[in-house]
Amino acid sequence: MKTILKLALATTMLMPAAAFAQDAVEITLWHMEQPPHRVARVQELIDAFNAANPGIVVTQEPQNWGEVYAKTPAALAAGQGPDMLFAIPDFTPILKDIGALTSVEEFVEELDAKHDFVDSTVEAYSYDGGVWAVPLYNMTMNLWYRKSVLEEAGIEVPSTWEEWRDAAETLSVDGVSGMGLPANRQLYTDQTVYSVMTNGGATEIYNEDGTLRFDNPETVASFEFYNDMLQFSPADSTSWTWGEAEACFSSRSCAMVMQFSVIATYDTQAEGDAADLGVAPIPSRDGEEHNTIAYANAVMLLSTDDEKMEASKKFVSFLLEPENYGRFLNMEPGLFMPVTADGATAETFWSDPMVEKYREQIETIIDNGQNGRLFGFTSGRTFPSIAAISAQNIIAETLQAVAVSGQSPADAVAAGQARMEEAAR
Amino acid sequence: MQQSKALAFALVAPAMLVLAATLGWPLVQAVQLSLQDVRVIGSPGTFVGFDNYRHILGGSAFWNAAGLSIVWVVANAVLQTALALVAALILNEKFPGVRVARTWIILAWIVPTVVVVVIWRWLFSTSGGMINPLLIQSGLVDRPIGFFATPWTAMATLVFVNSWRWFPFIALMILAGLTRIPDDLHEAARIDGANAWQRFRRITWPLLAPTLVVLAVIGTMLSFNVFDIIWLLTSGGPAGGSRTLPVLIYETAFKSYRLSEAATISVLATLLLMAFAVIATRALDRDGAER
Amino acid sequence: MNRSLPLNVALVACLAFFIVLIGLPFWWVVSGSIKVPQEIIARTPTMFPQSFTLQHYQKLFEASDYPVYLVNSLLVAGSSTLLTLVLAIPAAYAFFRLEFPARGVLYRTILLAYAFPSIVVLIPLFGLFAKVGLIDRLPALVAVNVAFALPFSIWMLRSFLAGVPKEIEEAAVMDGAPTLTILRRVMIPLIAPGIASVGIYAFVTAWTEYVFASVLILSDARRTLPVGFSGIIGQYQIDWGLLLAGATVAIVPVIAIFALIGRGFVSGLTEGAVK
Repeated sequence: MKTILKLALATTMLMPAAAFAQDAVEITLWHMEQPPHRVARVQELIDAFNAANPGIVVTQEPQNWGEVYAKTPAALAAGQGPDMLFAIPDFTPILKDIGALTSVEEFVEELDAKHDFVDSTVEAYSYDGGVWAVPLYNMTMNLWYRKSVLEEAGIEVPSTWEEWRDAAETLSVDGVSGMGLPANRQLYTDQTVYSVMTNGGATEIYNEDGTLRFDNPETVASFEFYNDMLQFSPADSTSWTWGEAEACFSSRSCAMVMQFSVIATYDTQAEGDAADLGVAPIPSRDGEEHNTIAYANAVMLLSTDDEKMEASKKFVSFLLEPENYGRFLNMEPGLFMPVTADGATAETFWSDPMVEKYREQIETIIDNGQNGRLFGFTSGRTFPSIAAISAQNIIAETLQAVAVSGQSPADAVAAGQARMEEAAR
Repeated sequence: MQQSKALAFALVAPAMLVLAATLGWPLVQAVQLSLQDVRVIGSPGTFVGFDNYRHILGGSAFWNAAGLSIVWVVANAVLQTALALVAALILNEKFPGVRVARTWIILAWIVPTVVVVVIWRWLFSTSGGMINPLLIQSGLVDRPIGFFATPWTAMATLVFVNSWRWFPFIALMILAGLTRIPDDLHEAARIDGANAWQRFRRITWPLLAPTLVVLAVIGTMLSFNVFDIIWLLTSGGPAGGSRTLPVLIYETAFKSYRLSEAATISVLATLLLMAFAVIATRALDRDGAER
Repeated sequence: MNRSLPLNVALVACLAFFIVLIGLPFWWVVSGSIKVPQEIIARTPTMFPQSFTLQHYQKLFEASDYPVYLVNSLLVAGSSTLLTLVLAIPAAYAFFRLEFPARGVLYRTILLAYAFPSIVVLIPLFGLFAKVGLIDRLPALVAVNVAFALPFSIWMLRSFLAGVPKEIEEAAVMDGAPTLTILRRVMIPLIAPGIASVGIYAFVTAWTEYVFASVLILSDARRTLPVGFSGIIGQYQIDWGLLLAGATVAIVPVIAIFALIGRGFVSGLTEGAVK
């Protein structure tokens, strides 16, 4: 970063370009990919873009998920908001509701013609007669394990809930937790619980008319099963976010975890033996079809100024070009999956050393992603109230009612639906 | 006299202006917001009278949070004061290295809160944390404890972390009070044959009590408003077990996007705390007048 | 040193308890920051490092703008301290010595400032700062920090002033010195240790502040150390080594500052006699 700064300084001083940089369109990108190596990779791409587009200067300001929900509406109200902001599907309706977004339908169609988006990723941002963000990368939940550990215990990779429970029980020996699962009131728990729900026939939380159908026997069964599995998870699961699950797996304290990807930590903080790392679809109730949660991350375009809007679009197009896109996704190898057809085959994606090393796992992740779902964004039943339900983590809250407060799953799910209705009010 | 009045205002006015702009004016705004129905910050709202107050006072969330806030304040006051008192009594003794100890006891207080939070989150975690293995090795427990696993333990752990951060500062304030107690009083009592406990009970404690009262009042207000430690460690969980009023306010404003309701809770919390503060400062004033 | 034996034993035991209570967490953090990742997350943690690496520090300084955050924090905390003192000393003196209408009410109102949940002012303040163009500017943080440190500072300074022997001030008044001269020439030097204490209080308040700094500052180049530090706590992965190195680096400057002036702070508090 420092060297980049120095370099930037040197160029400004040496080149007469400084004069014409004054007329350049300046646009700001906010994103929540805050770990230093991701910021550095985004900066590389920005530098390349700025060099290729003399009339435009892009800058990035990494933000924290913890504050961005508070900060963005406030900054926009103050006229200090970003021009581009990364988003997950349930963040977008909030900004759309305050009128900060205009539909980018045409732009997405144009990009789709060129790169062919995975349909579900566009769907997550299509409602109320518009498309509100441009899909950028996908994340899907998977089951991670060590092949050697399963072999030693003499168990197969679980495919049904029953097998999963047995495996977790068998693996829970010598202070090891068989299955690390979060029970925090936080997004990660929303994701893992929904991953279980969608594998237990409780994919839809809305009826077609927009009323809630969260309170149904399949949901209750899913919560019951999840709560049962929690006995094989470490004692501090109620405060887990993604990082703790990975640390637990890396340190061999957890035999299995449910996570988007553990590749980076496994490689840098654990043994990093690619041949031993196993990844499988999340077991389902009957073992027939395996679903998972899929998060299509996207970028929202917020400029009110036409020139800036054009510049933002140019930058987004630049990111999605196959020769840049792979490098963009590999800011965290193994975590961010392509949302375009030509991205999935891009040389820049597969040539990353880490991706080459864990190619087998990454191919499995992409396969698992074929059945990706996201609560509140399924079967075209998308209603804006999902933003409130998701922002308040009501699915995770319902789990805590069972796991921490000891309510029966049926009562907790009924109360959960009431909470969702209240949130949607 | 007239001149002195003008001078007094000139001396006080700048400080008051800063306070009015950064604390007074926002409070007025909060009252205004609480009478409207604004959701996301920046969006327009209409006047709804006392609807928000009715809604908040009629629901259980506010009362739960208020109850937890009281538990939080009292538990912190007790633990902090106990630790601080013992520490101050030790630091008031003479022993080799006492100067060093007096200086560095403050270490926990000068470290940024976020760092404190990360340190303890790491130490308490069951993967890689230091506390659990230590407890297991010493035979106190046979399997790792989830410090943030139940509402009760989460609250206790939070109180511990917050007290750990604040007790050194309070210890020094108490120490300041202790050093004001003249040595001859202790000497005289010793000659009269009073033992250490009697000397503490008869001399130290009565003379220290006013200092402790002042610290308790300010400490109560400061710890009531603690938000970052709770938010960063448990976000008010599990199952709402550590959702004190400041956490509820933040959640209502930024997770539920009910800005006006958050303002309403703020106004109510401020009224509660003000009532306490007015009574307490009255008592302090009387106390001050006596001396 | 004429303490009874049991008392001495109790003293040593308590002392050991406090050393462990305060020192051990810091030892774990600092020693953890030089362990290799595998050792940090090992299931049986080590009290003393079995490995040595500077990789976490290397990563920290290569990939984040830690020095920038550090400078910002020092700027904000330094200016907040100065401004707090400049505002608090005259106010405290006026409350202590001068007669003026509504003195009692105003004094009480100042302490009432702590009755506001600070979260309350966050939203309206954002609007206010937006109007005057202070969003994403360090002076906004200074204003907030001063407001939070002022009431307690005024209250402490007034106590220190009350601790000055009456005779000294009366002698100055007899000499016919104007009020401001008395404040500057007589009172301020006399309560210098107290001023140092209040200054440190203001400094630490600003140095450790997180919530406002995280919301009012938008761009990376203006972040303070606490916010910059929270930035390296990944969303999806936790790199404990990097965090421990970051924590160590965040601790060291305060320790350095405190090593220089810490003694003054403590003796200021204890000898200045808080009333």
